[in-house]
Amino acid sequence: MSHSKLTHKTILALTASILAAGSGQAYELNLGTNMPPIDFHGFISQGFLASTKYDYLANNTKDGSFKFSEAAINASINPFPRTHIAAQGFLFDVGNVGEYFPALDYASIDYTFCDEFGVRAGQIRRPEGIYNSIQDIDLARTSVLLPQGMYDSRWRDFSGSIDGGSVFGNVDLHKVGGLGYEAYGGMVHLADDGGIARLLQDSLRNPPTHYKHVNGFPEFGLQLWYNTPVDGLRFGYAFVDALDFSYDYDVNIPPFISLSYHSTINAVEHHLSAEYLYKAWTFQAEYKYATYYSHDQINGARQSITISSTDTWYVSAAYRFNKWLEAGAYYTEDYANVGDRNGSTLATHSDGYQKDAALSLRVDPTSWWVFKVEGHYIRGTALLYDTASNPSRGGDGWFMLAVKTTFSF
Amino acid sequence: MKSNFLKFGLICALLAAGSFRVLALDGAVVIANPGVAVDSLTADALKDLLTGKTKYWDGGQAVIITVLPDKTDAALQQACGMDTSAFKTFWQRLAFSGRGQEPKKAADAAELVQLVASTKGAIAIVPADAALTGVKKLEIK
Repeated sequence: MSHSKLTHKTILALTASILAAGSGQAYELNLGTNMPPIDFHGFISQGFLASTKYDYLANNTKDGSFKFSEAAINASINPFPRTHIAAQGFLFDVGNVGEYFPALDYASIDYTFCDEFGVRAGQIRRPEGIYNSIQDIDLARTSVLLPQGMYDSRWRDFSGSIDGGSVFGNVDLHKVGGLGYEAYGGMVHLADDGGIARLLQDSLRNPPTHYKHVNGFPEFGLQLWYNTPVDGLRFGYAFVDALDFSYDYDVNIPPFISLSYHSTINAVEHHLSAEYLYKAWTFQAEYKYATYYSHDQINGARQSITISSTDTWYVSAAYRFNKWLEAGAYYTEDYANVGDRNGSTLATHSDGYQKDAALSLRVDPTSWWVFKVEGHYIRGTALLYDTASNPSRGGDGWFMLAVKTTFSF
Repeated sequence: MKSNFLKFGLICALLAAGSFRVLALDGAVVIANPGVAVDSLTADALKDLLTGKTKYWDGGQAVIITVLPDKTDAALQQACGMDTSAFKTFWQRLAFSGRGQEPKKAADAAELVQLVASTKGAIAIVPADAALTGVKKLEIK
């Protein structure tokens, strides 16, 4: 059976299941009188992206693109005391990334010794900031697109899950609130058709370079949340160390030049978050600073290390008018090099930054159906990546429309 | 000097908010499955249960939150500081990241009571006038 036939059957089956569920209730699979049931939840999303000037996120958004879809089914059970098992299958398509290929999003088991300490093992969603572990979940936010400098839709294979383990817990600080933590470590496995691989292919596809493959890498991190005594107000800090992410490519200019490159990047990130839920309002702000230590090996000979830093931030506010209507706005900036925020050292200055103001409207006609529409005014081109599709770039502002609907159960 | 006094006042207010949390649920009571080995909860303990900070009862049985959409919204807000929409989003975030189970939903008070009575580890906020059969009512201190 071809991949596309399998994919369409999978999507149709998932859609039928969700629509048949109707009430938005989870499915329960009862295993017997002494075992708790397995809970099943799922969703399917279809989006549309259109931009006035550049192809961004999906292919050919200048003409409008429906290549913006997601679907997932998850199952969870508490089979034994203090034990939780959960797994989620996921497929998505954003431009030429994902392409509906079904993948295991996470599959983990955790044991909670007490509120203050638990352990989790398996393929786990990586906590970082407010949205990293749930960036696929359209239901869990007001906007269609998260701020892309911080939560890039195309990089989910890089940022989403690790194979490894974590320790977690919540420490009650009594009069001054509480502290939640999760420290993790494991391996990131990258697909050769994933977002990072596509980015590298786009940048290394012109002869004489020839992209070969990306390699998995170990990653460690920590997410802390300080829950203040004020209801709904919390502050977060995350640290991430991605060790030796690497990729290989060749440079061949026959008959004399044949070079084999092995490029390695060690990324260290610091991520600050603040969130305040006040009545029908949700306020959020986040800042991320990343430093990249890069070096090449050319035909096995190690070159000197180069160091670069990027940063990105956003502020957002959302207001829920009633059960079925919510509006939100955010403003975000992303810089490809903190030492050159205007991109003045780049051939195309606008590749040094991207600034995005977004207005979102979310409608929940039922508890299991969400519809969103969103407008963006963007200046800068730092996050376009696909320079071949956007050969002429500049600092003038451009608009983007994002529409999305999600069914869930 | 004046600004130092204001800062001190703000800190005191924050500390007071954390130490003297009193809970009165509007027209609602908290119930649990009879197998749950507690008869009362503090307001903070109830909030920890509803926000997933406490996921298991003392014996290790998983806490199963059950909700009655639209009927106990005010009490839910008082108990956990989130309105119904925020509560739903909060649990979707946990469930879809593999870190919890979404609350079970009931269509009416009678179904909710039945669900709590038949589900080990279940807890719920129900309207105060609901007939409480086969469940235990928890005192909130």
